[in-house]
Amino acid sequence: MSGRDQKKSGVNIELYMQSGIIESYALGLATSEEVVEFEQLLPHFPELKDALQEFEYHLELFSIDNEIPPPPEVRLQMEDRLRTLPAIPDRLRRGSRSHRTEYVQAKETSGHIRVHRIWRTLFIAVFVLAKIFLILAIYYFLEYRHAERQLHPVAAPAVKQN
Amino acid sequence: MPANLSLFIARGGEILAILEKTIAKDILKSELYPGGRPAAELLYARYSGMLYSYILQFVPDRKEAGALLVDIFSRLTTQLQDAFDSPLSIYCWLQVESRKIILENIQNKGVGDVAAGAGLVKGPKAPALYFSLLEDAPPEHQWVFRELFIYGRTKEELAIQSGKDLGYVSRILRECLGVIRKNLG
Repeated sequence: MSGRDQKKSGVNIELYMQSGIIESYALGLATSEEVVEFEQLLPHFPELKDALQEFEYHLELFSIDNEIPPPPEVRLQMEDRLRTLPAIPDRLRRGSRSHRTEYVQAKETSGHIRVHRIWRTLFIAVFVLAKIFLILAIYYFLEYRHAERQLHPVAAPAVKQN
Repeated sequence: MPANLSLFIARGGEILAILEKTIAKDILKSELYPGGRPAAELLYARYSGMLYSYILQFVPDRKEAGALLVDIFSRLTTQLQDAFDSPLSIYCWLQVESRKIILENIQNKGVGDVAAGAGLVKGPKAPALYFSLLEDAPPEHQWVFRELFIYGRTKEELAIQSGKDLGYVSRILRECLGVIRKNLG
């Protein structure tokens, strides 16, 4: 597929990748013409996409290793700023003139659902409590049967006497 | 065997820690309400530290960098549909867009401030981040990368200033990017 695409587009993809275009694109150093060209070639060359993803992955790991937490007041400033942000009008959003909703139209690609992490703790707590109640229920049931057996021999003669 | 097991567990912990720090687009999409608090909070929780150190490369003053971070988050959280449309990862998109805002901010302040910023960036206490990847590169390479990346100048401008041809500047940049890739990997 790549060979055919290379012939069709006239691009030697190996040379193209060696030109530093991937790094330029990911770091925002590419010119607008280079960006257009790169984005046109990207769907046709899986190796280009793989190389981009690999570079992004390493860049993100490096950034995680070197992150500096911002001062706490920055978060408060940002929360204040976000409170003052106006709602996004539909007409300003690309391709959403006909939609009245303010949510992004996103296609679901995964069969999994994700929930807030607090549900993990709640689920564990509910599970443990359920087990405790089950054990208690069995225990009290056995206690009840034991007590009933102890009462039964006493109750039987009383019936006979009557 | 127990040593291998503990190493495996430690490595697994590291990977989980990394996964906790990164957001795939589908996760963000599922939690997104553009411009609203959930998306902004999610992005801030994950990327504020990374972007703050990124901004410090351009603006070493921490107070100013903090104000820029606020500005960047409040602007970019309303444009997240563009992030989904982009072939870039969320983090790379954030940093590319952040750089545009930072350069715009620096240019609005005027040339004098840019020059002052240059002095600070070159100072010994200035955070290096990407420049730490170019420590082994010759000074000329570091200069070209700094001018293009930090000051947003064009290759044409650098070629004229240095009296070299455009191909020469492009070659230097290509070598810089090669060094960065090598040191990242």
